[in-house]
Amino acid sequence: MVSPPARFWLGHVRRSPLLLFVILYTAISGGPFLWVAVMSLRTTPEIFASPYALPSRIHWEKFAEAWTRSNYSTYFWNSTIVVVTAVALLTVIGAMVAHCLARYRFRGNRLVRFVILSGMILPPQLLILSLFQILLEFNLYNTLTGLILVYVAAHLAMTVYILEGFFAQIPQDLFDAARMDGYSDLEIFWKITLPIGAPALFTAVTLNFIILWNEFLYAVVLMTDDDKRTLPLGIMHFMGSHQLDVGMVATGLMIAIAPVILLYAFFSETMIRGMTAGAVR
Amino acid sequence: MGEVALSGLSKRYPGGGDLAVKEVTLTVADGEFMVLLGPSGCGKSSVLRMIAGLEPISAGTVAIDGRIINDVPAKDRDIAMVFQSYALYPHMDVYNNLAFGLRRRAVARDEIDRRVTAAAAKLGLTPYLKRKPHALSGGQRQRVALGRAIVREPKVFLFDEPLSNLDAALRVTTRNELIAQQREIGITTIYVTHDQVEAMTMGHRICIMDGGEVVQIGPPLAVYRDPVNTFVARFLGNPPMNLMRTAVDLEGAAPRLRLGNTMLPAAAWPADRLRALDGHALLGIRPEDLYEASPRPGDNRVLPLPATVTAVEPLGAETLLLLSLEGVGEDVIARSGRETRLRPGERATILLDSAAAHLFDATTTRAVARL
Repeated sequence: MVSPPARFWLGHVRRSPLLLFVILYTAISGGPFLWVAVMSLRTTPEIFASPYALPSRIHWEKFAEAWTRSNYSTYFWNSTIVVVTAVALLTVIGAMVAHCLARYRFRGNRLVRFVILSGMILPPQLLILSLFQILLEFNLYNTLTGLILVYVAAHLAMTVYILEGFFAQIPQDLFDAARMDGYSDLEIFWKITLPIGAPALFTAVTLNFIILWNEFLYAVVLMTDDDKRTLPLGIMHFMGSHQLDVGMVATGLMIAIAPVILLYAFFSETMIRGMTAGAVR
Repeated sequence: MGEVALSGLSKRYPGGGDLAVKEVTLTVADGEFMVLLGPSGCGKSSVLRMIAGLEPISAGTVAIDGRIINDVPAKDRDIAMVFQSYALYPHMDVYNNLAFGLRRRAVARDEIDRRVTAAAAKLGLTPYLKRKPHALSGGQRQRVALGRAIVREPKVFLFDEPLSNLDAALRVTTRNELIAQQREIGITTIYVTHDQVEAMTMGHRICIMDGGEVVQIGPPLAVYRDPVNTFVARFLGNPPMNLMRTAVDLEGAAPRLRLGNTMLPAAAWPADRLRALDGHALLGIRPEDLYEASPRPGDNRVLPLPATVTAVEPLGAETLLLLSLEGVGEDVIARSGRETRLRPGERATILLDSAAAHLFDATTTRAVARL
């Protein structure tokens, strides 16, 4: 027989490798974020004097300075327009494609799915030159519309992948019942697929929003005018070719990621539910 | 009005070789309750889905009130369907589940409210109108599914095994509710099931299907009493009809059937049909037509058969006896009273009511009609 206190400690010992892993993982992924958060409240000279110290005085005014000094309001607005529009388009188009692939058996169904999903395999670095050329030809280079279209094209595959898996699990009887109730295919999509697929839609929206809000590569190559830049490019303002204002970069980063953190805080549970739905029936 | 006429209806699924439904011809009269009965995969659900417009028709026609509706989309057929899974919209409450089909048909808001309230009251759903389907019991969900069909006031109701997800006790009550509702509303109903008790108790007529074909159509008791072949004979009835190989003896003055060492009179069947059987046939007798004591003492059509009791299954209200008849290869089941004293291993004389016997062609399995 093992006495209760001994069992208590035995339980802890058994769980310790997992606990150690979780602590390490949290430190690795959350540490840099915390460090940047602390730096965003310190000035650059303070940071150079002691990089890892806590703030001796909290410099909230840096946030106002970052916003005003470097055209941040424009970048923020541009990011909002580009990301909100791209995510909206991605959600509607992705949901329609996923609905069709999950619901209808048509000739070439598997080929269409393969072509769309193969978009996930190709790295953006491979596509960027051809995209650059295409946008130039269609007069979309250096425009927000061009960037929106590129984002939609680049992320459609992942969106379809997330949504199709979920939509395919909606019982066929529901669609048949709606048809018997008199609804057309498009109405069934709006009134049945979308509301029932809400958890998957939230997942797709949140993921796309986070990824696109932080997107740098396409934005830096396809946008050149300062007043058309998005937030990740705006941070470059604090980086000259010979100097780096570390404190302001940190403040800029915190402003940039605030909406993402808020979004994740609100939708993380729904998102996880959407991603794991169907794993256990 | 809602007469449904199927003519040569056939279905071949893409990639599937044989026809899943083979030239089904059938007319369901206005207000009639028709049950499509058959084992899994016999094509009954395919027939229902073709009537509903959910499945393309490979050949033949579906007509409602004389109008062929093959090319009419499901939404315009004025048919309501209750699914096995109920197919309630999980994101809508009961009220909206009931009202969903009416909204699409541009029914006035007041009228929708009137119909939904009336259907909910009729089905005892009034307290649950604001609940979502996941907060309802199986029986309540089933009633919502029925209510959704009722509020539409369609020409035809289609039911696809709607009771199979309910437990045994609830199935009995819901079955009776369904029968009462259908008789009251009087809308033409086509009901698919593989449960013979549902078929026997619910339908005005039953249509038995096997291998995609209609085998027999008729009132439940008529089909039970006069099955057209051994499939129907064994499919209807629980325990199923006993089938025993028998030799046809045409030598004597009157034709007889040999069952083991017992000779049964065969005068009830036409002599020319007996001659065509080539000396062999299958004798069918229902378990309730085998007795421990004669039901009609003195009647020479009740014949004794020596047997050994193999097993005894007391079911409470009755007892089933598994018997090995002497000189007969097949074991038979007899339905006996609960007071039976027979025990496994005992020898007994079982009485067979030859007036209730059926005769089937051993080659074609078709019944030989009585005179």
